[in-house]
Amino acid sequence: MCHQTTHRHSIFCILPPHILQQIAINGDAQERAAAVHTLAADQTFRSLRTELLLAGAPAPSPSVLLAAEGEKHRTIYDARHQQMLPGVVVRTEGAQPTQDLATNEAYDGLGATFDFYWEIYQRNSIDDQGLPLNATVHFGRNYDNAFWNGDRMVFGDGDGRLFNRFTISLDVIGHELTHGVTQDEAQLTYSNQPGALNESISDVFGSLIKQLTLNQTADQADWLIGAGLLAQGVNGVALRSMKAPGTAYDDPVLGKDPQPAHMRDFERTFEDNGGVHINSGIPNHAFYLAAVKIGGFAWEKAGRIWYDTLRDTHVRPSTGFRSFARLTLINAGRLFGNGSAEQQAVREAWHEVGVAVPAIVPATKSKTR
Amino acid sequence: MRVEFKIEGGLAYFPGLSKPRVIDSADLPAAEADRLHRLVDAAGIFEQPAGGRALPKGAADYRQYTITVEDGRRRRTIRLADPIANPDLEALVEYLRTRTAPGDEPASKDE
Repeated sequence: MCHQTTHRHSIFCILPPHILQQIAINGDAQERAAAVHTLAADQTFRSLRTELLLAGAPAPSPSVLLAAEGEKHRTIYDARHQQMLPGVVVRTEGAQPTQDLATNEAYDGLGATFDFYWEIYQRNSIDDQGLPLNATVHFGRNYDNAFWNGDRMVFGDGDGRLFNRFTISLDVIGHELTHGVTQDEAQLTYSNQPGALNESISDVFGSLIKQLTLNQTADQADWLIGAGLLAQGVNGVALRSMKAPGTAYDDPVLGKDPQPAHMRDFERTFEDNGGVHINSGIPNHAFYLAAVKIGGFAWEKAGRIWYDTLRDTHVRPSTGFRSFARLTLINAGRLFGNGSAEQQAVREAWHEVGVAVPAIVPATKSKTR
Repeated sequence: MRVEFKIEGGLAYFPGLSKPRVIDSADLPAAEADRLHRLVDAAGIFEQPAGGRALPKGAADYRQYTITVEDGRRRRTIRLADPIANPDLEALVEYLRTRTAPGDEPASKDE
């Protein structure tokens, strides 16, 4: 069996995923480790597909050698309260739930996120090429956070005093994975306005994933990020509110939710990479307003506009609020017609949060990646 | 020995958790002061390069830690980001985080 290498000829000795999974379960220790590493980290599916496409080959069939479209490949790791990544494998794709709640919540949350992007936007995993989804749970000691490290999601257990376990919140899981989508599409720089947009996009799609799972319309949704994360006794309901930025918590230890809902309250700061988790309140609120104005399920129209804008080649690493807003108008016009109710809803939403957009947008097409 | 400690970043920005914190060994009981000194020594703070490493590409919501140690005439500031692979640095960060957490009574024993 071939171990993962970067040599292109390793493509010809790849074992298909279902065989690797059998080895991961039934092999000896060395075989299991190698199989799991291959499944979890294998970039060669992606490079094979790219090579075939560049060579002008016909579209790959959902065959033995390639991950079929829309197929999940999840691996959950346990860091056992250390900070070494990735940790030990505790659950692979298709395996039964384990005894560990965080493991199963991460597994389910990765699945729900994958299913959302596939069913609603026909996006095949984070990179739209079937990227395996990996998460590490039980990171660190009483670690009060979760993050995306560029390759995987990492979850702490919380300290039980301020925060519960970070796998408890589906929108947080969706938020983290969406950083991977943004990294793949727009690479919005993680500071100042582009960073606040980056953060907002993660909140938007994190919330939509929760809304789809709960089958909620824009009116029914709570538009809270991380509801259930704050421990009992903390004076707050969530990390953030898209519906009412600045109201999620007001606690003697945590302080008061600093998010603005309008550009007049934009926070100029060196903290938080230039306030990326603070000023995300403004584009968050714009999305909420557009979704509620349009009505129905928010992922269908407002979410589609935002998703297409994220993929718009005009969104660059340095794109700020005004440029992004203008592109949402252009994409709304492209999708639903210039002057449509949907485009008008988006226009009003940005106006209400104080982001200036041009009165007329060009009727030209925008290009997606 | 005086240590300033600041946590930034993470999944959300909490004003109450983001303020810089200070621990001064002169204010600690002898055993605690000794522990702080040992942790700082083991972490090799003064041997670390000043400043911080490059941020992980594409990463988001990770926390960053800024530690400034003043010991006599020596002063060094380092920045770390999650994950902290070095166990001695991790032990120091964990100590500083728990001993200076806002809203806590000072701990009298290990957790």
